[in-house]
Amino acid sequence: MGDIGLISQVVVNGILFGSMYGIAAIGLSLIFGTMRIVFIAQGSVIVLTSYFCFWLFSLLGIDPYLSLIPVLLVSLLLGAAFYYGLFREAAALKDRIGSLLIAVGLMFFLENFMTVVWTPNPRAVVTSYGFTTFQILGVQLTLTRLIGLLIAVLAAVAVSMFLKKTLIGTAVRATSEDVEASTLMGINPDWVNIVTFAIGIGLAGIAGVTLATTYSFDPVYGFEFALKALIALTLGGIGRVYAALWGGIILGLIELLGTFFVGAGWAQGIVFMIFLLAMTFRPYGIFGGAGDKV
Amino acid sequence: MANQLLEVKGLDVSYGDVQALWDVSIQVEEGTIVALVGANGAGKTTLLKAISGLIHAKKGEIVLSGESLNNLKPQEIVDRGITHVPEGRRLFASLTIMENLRLGAYIPRTRPLFTESLERVFTLFPVLKNRSNQKAGTLSGGEQQMLAIGRALMAHPKLIMLDEPSLGLSPILVKTIFQLISILNEQKATILLVEQNVNQALKIAHQAYVLKNGKTVMCGKGCDLLADEEVCKAYIGERGSKR
Repeated sequence: MGDIGLISQVVVNGILFGSMYGIAAIGLSLIFGTMRIVFIAQGSVIVLTSYFCFWLFSLLGIDPYLSLIPVLLVSLLLGAAFYYGLFREAAALKDRIGSLLIAVGLMFFLENFMTVVWTPNPRAVVTSYGFTTFQILGVQLTLTRLIGLLIAVLAAVAVSMFLKKTLIGTAVRATSEDVEASTLMGINPDWVNIVTFAIGIGLAGIAGVTLATTYSFDPVYGFEFALKALIALTLGGIGRVYAALWGGIILGLIELLGTFFVGAGWAQGIVFMIFLLAMTFRPYGIFGGAGDKV
Repeated sequence: MANQLLEVKGLDVSYGDVQALWDVSIQVEEGTIVALVGANGAGKTTLLKAISGLIHAKKGEIVLSGESLNNLKPQEIVDRGITHVPEGRRLFASLTIMENLRLGAYIPRTRPLFTESLERVFTLFPVLKNRSNQKAGTLSGGEQQMLAIGRALMAHPKLIMLDEPSLGLSPILVKTIFQLISILNEQKATILLVEQNVNQALKIAHQAYVLKNGKTVMCGKGCDLLADEEVCKAYIGERGSKR
């Protein structure tokens, strides 16, 4: 213990791993922002897209990074379908319990569906370059994890640009702030919600490919992942793209440093403790002012 | 009868079991200012919300230039040409002034006119031009009201509905806002105005309706109502005591 090299190794891995929570959290933030839906099935959708990536790789031999394109397209469509098929009615209600229950139901359905199709055994996408590592300043970096971080940052930049530079993106932000006022501008809330859901699930697809290339996964891993993404979102604060990414990275750091210093069992406890503390003292996120609204 | 832009006929509106409007009928002639006055809870805001589609009427009809608006969604009604500036302005506080104005021209038919609409708004409100990249939430109350009206103008409405535009503003700004409403009217805008400031509203209104407990109890020319003893006693006398 106390070895500087080893600790910086853990820090780097924490950042790389946390960036995955970060993109999942951005998706949750968008969906919660416009529809006030706590999309607890996000983690299971991520694992589902990991299986897509796995199938494309093992059955068709498509490189996982190349499969990012079809997986992203399918995820966008899946997001639009989720909204139209499952959440459209519930999102219009004042009561949020309905949409939460639908999300929980969807999560259990996906877990069981994946168990039937892909068995409960863990899977991983093992590529020829999966174990490629290189050394920078004595820290060992895995190529796939580094690419994962890069993809996460690019995805965050793309979403942020979309929200800031396009008219529909501006409409998404306006709807997050005040749905009724946005309809008075002529904005169709259904259209905004479809776009938001598609992007949220699109981000899940990106996280899914990253997960598939860096770790092994099984059908029930999604729930834990969704919880972590929610914690990342709480840490970062809802409604800001980069804050959610940072929240994920901070969570990844806490988790891996906790595992390194006090062990894996305690690390989970620490993660949830920090979540409770954040909720108590910084409910608008550690980067958000007390007066910030969603 | 002259050119009626908006006709509301026998409107009944309820919130659940509570009926808020009873058989309300009003007419808005093109190019005029029409004021809706009455005490709190009289149903003025409810009437505007029913016209803009935020709530649906149980009975009755709303007609704009001969076309029925019944059962249309708010976004479709904006497209037909009615823009509602709600009470409390409801700006998007975390968006910049420019972004708020851009969303004002969200309807596809108004997008090609964006540059000229923007110029018009900036001519009316030069203060907004200098601050176009500032967040709307940082503006003062008066500036926020100007932005709310400016945002409504971006949609090129046939009818602008203003709900309590002078609420919470200082007396000087109240005067400015009323002057502005007159200027907009001189520029051929048709305005349906809800105001607590009955005195000022009746002074600029061509036509006015008095609502009481969800019913229209009086209507007439603004100046006639202003001279009416009963109206004065009921509403203007209470001008001093802020409600």
